[in-house]
Amino acid sequence: MSRPPVTLIVLAWNHWELTERCLRTLAATHLDGAEVLVVDNGSTDETPQQLERLPWVRTLRLPANLGFVRGNNAGIAAAPPDADVVLLNNDLEFTQRDWLRRLAACAHSAPDVGVAGCRMVLPDGRLLHAGTYVMPDTMWGQQIGSLERDVGQFQTGVAEVEGIVFACAYIRREVLQAIGGLALDFESYFEDTDFCLRARRAGWKTVLCGDVTLVHDEHGSTASQADLMRIFQGSREIFRRKWQPELEARYHHRLLWQSIMNFPTGYAMSCRELLRSLDELGVHTVYRYVYGPKTVFPPVEPESSGDYRLNVIRGRAAPRSPAVAVVYGQGDVFARNQGKYKIGFTMLEVDGFPAEWVAQANRMQEVWVPSEFNRQGFLECGLRRPIHIMPLGVDVRYFHPGIAAFPNPAGEYVFLALFEWGERKEPGLLLRAFNDEFSAREPVRLLCKVINRDPGLHIKEEIRKLGLRAGGGRISYLFNLEFPHYQLGTLYRSVDAFVSVSRGEGWNMPLMEAMACGLPTIATGWGAHQEFAHEGITYPLRVAKLVPAVAKCPYYAGFRWAEPDPEHLRFLLRHVFENRDEARARGLAAAREMAARWTWEAAARRIVERLSAIDAGDARHAPDNRGSEAAVHGAIGAGAVRGAGASRGAIDAA
Amino acid sequence: VSADAAADQVATPADDLVVSRLRIARLEGRIAALEAALERRSEELRELQRHLCRADLERLGRLAEGLPPQLLIPCEPDAWEETRELTVAEVPETLLDLWASLYGTPAPSLAAE
Repeated sequence: MSRPPVTLIVLAWNHWELTERCLRTLAATHLDGAEVLVVDNGSTDETPQQLERLPWVRTLRLPANLGFVRGNNAGIAAAPPDADVVLLNNDLEFTQRDWLRRLAACAHSAPDVGVAGCRMVLPDGRLLHAGTYVMPDTMWGQQIGSLERDVGQFQTGVAEVEGIVFACAYIRREVLQAIGGLALDFESYFEDTDFCLRARRAGWKTVLCGDVTLVHDEHGSTASQADLMRIFQGSREIFRRKWQPELEARYHHRLLWQSIMNFPTGYAMSCRELLRSLDELGVHTVYRYVYGPKTVFPPVEPESSGDYRLNVIRGRAAPRSPAVAVVYGQGDVFARNQGKYKIGFTMLEVDGFPAEWVAQANRMQEVWVPSEFNRQGFLECGLRRPIHIMPLGVDVRYFHPGIAAFPNPAGEYVFLALFEWGERKEPGLLLRAFNDEFSAREPVRLLCKVINRDPGLHIKEEIRKLGLRAGGGRISYLFNLEFPHYQLGTLYRSVDAFVSVSRGEGWNMPLMEAMACGLPTIATGWGAHQEFAHEGITYPLRVAKLVPAVAKCPYYAGFRWAEPDPEHLRFLLRHVFENRDEARARGLAAAREMAARWTWEAAARRIVERLSAIDAGDARHAPDNRGSEAAVHGAIGAGAVRGAGASRGAIDAA
Repeated sequence: VSADAAADQVATPADDLVVSRLRIARLEGRIAALEAALERRSEELRELQRHLCRADLERLGRLAEGLPPQLLIPCEPDAWEETRELTVAEVPETLLDLWASLYGTPAPSLAAE
């Protein structure tokens, strides 16, 4: 099907040097016959004269500066009546020759797509824009991914967003015919979000085209700072009156979420992702820190998460008597749940749960765990409440095969392992196996990113005690480095394979991230990660037997975890090294499966479904403790579960 | 007049033997000078080895090769000063430094693949 013609509308007001750069770089791209229309918004510098020298540009000269909205509307009115339009700021720089083809393809990727924007970076390489959102609490527009170093995040094809900035906006003609041009309520600012919301109300989606990136020298062509703030605040107030009720109405559920957010822990990281996704899916969440003084984790939580959306969620007033509350953390803080309907959400790395956790869990209305592995462990330890599996996810906008890579220049095959040195991660097993299996003459290396915060542990001494051979496989280390989480995809993409040799996992987020990045992975075939890691997309490491979980962590006492088979680990390391095409294909299959099934949005949807069931009265019909227990055990008896129990049975039988 | 200049002046087809002897004498002089310099340098290094630890010797070696005295990111246990504190770092710079330290090549540019 042929597409309509396209008119590129470049709005310019003075600053000829910006307009000149914009047009010069634009002319070097594939325009495919698109018309270029420069709307001169009453420039008083050399802009009018210079534009006359460009025969390939049509110029619309306005008598005075009419502002962003009226200037663009004049351009839209001057475009052919059947043409799609692309609104462009004159402070853009075009560095991608096929940007227009890709953007047009995005805009026409589905019948209900109406507006398409793109990634924009600052001249210094920081990511300025990957879509926008507005929190109804503050009505202050925010740009997604704003000011992170560009490592290829959001380069994931077409993705629906709430809004885009109109520094670059592809608008299909049908949308203009349906809702008209930019709203005249605004002089500048918020008109773009307003347009996207109006389009959405009329049935048109706004999308981000992740495959297009433009350089935006932001604010290069706007007025003075004082004027800017006056215009911004005026537009914000108009926007508030116009849209706040509708934006507030997008929340369908209310939830108190008690957890940990602003510390570098696994619970905190996953908490942040879940809160973001729940908000996007219409769950009005109030966050409260569940730890602190007189708990197992006494530090006071820092106030800022560095994320606007999360700070707003954290700043909301807590309801006096919340209908539904989730405690997401260790099971010995479930008792702090403040809801009428209490949910405890936890996980653990061994085959059972401590008595105190079970006791507190039995005082919840229901319990959530991310895996069948943990569900089984809870039930076997005496849980008598309904238990639901709520898997975690991975942010495939930051972890995907297209993330920037800095591979080693010597071409060695590099295995990567990330771990905190301790009993559970069993680093000695991996280091010995690698060192024994390979020789120093082979073009292969193990890179270990190691963390140690235990003052009683000396890593250098631990490594020395392993007695690794100088002529064995070579190992390098990154000691106690803290990378920004959004850059971790670059670490994965810069190596060839990932190894996760642990005795037990409550979820294994690094494994999931590596798989989402398309790496071939070797991972212990026991633990919660079996929820998402199976033989078709990873290399499961055989478990020799289950052994008592001897560790400093008090929660493990009395339970068991896995003892991975070192010979099988050597076999898998060698196999992946020597069968690279097969391994690469398995890694890419993993990336596809992560993107299709294991996103944070998918994780949040499971929670929303459960909240809907609770709201619909499912809680009233939940079986009592005895009934619940019987029902659950009945399901197990019928062979409805897999994972922990199945693994244990197989191992014990062996 | 240098030996080369003298050799050039007398290097006629009629007197090749003289030219050859002059060149040999010049080369022997250079070899002796280099041997003396090498002996002095070896003595200096032996002296340094008696007083400096291995890490300082490595730093000196890197400086002599025109490299920064220390790796930004130590990737071998011996070069790492053990700590329980975390150091904030950027992934691209860390990897470039790591590869440069492993393969002895200057860090490639930050333009990722």
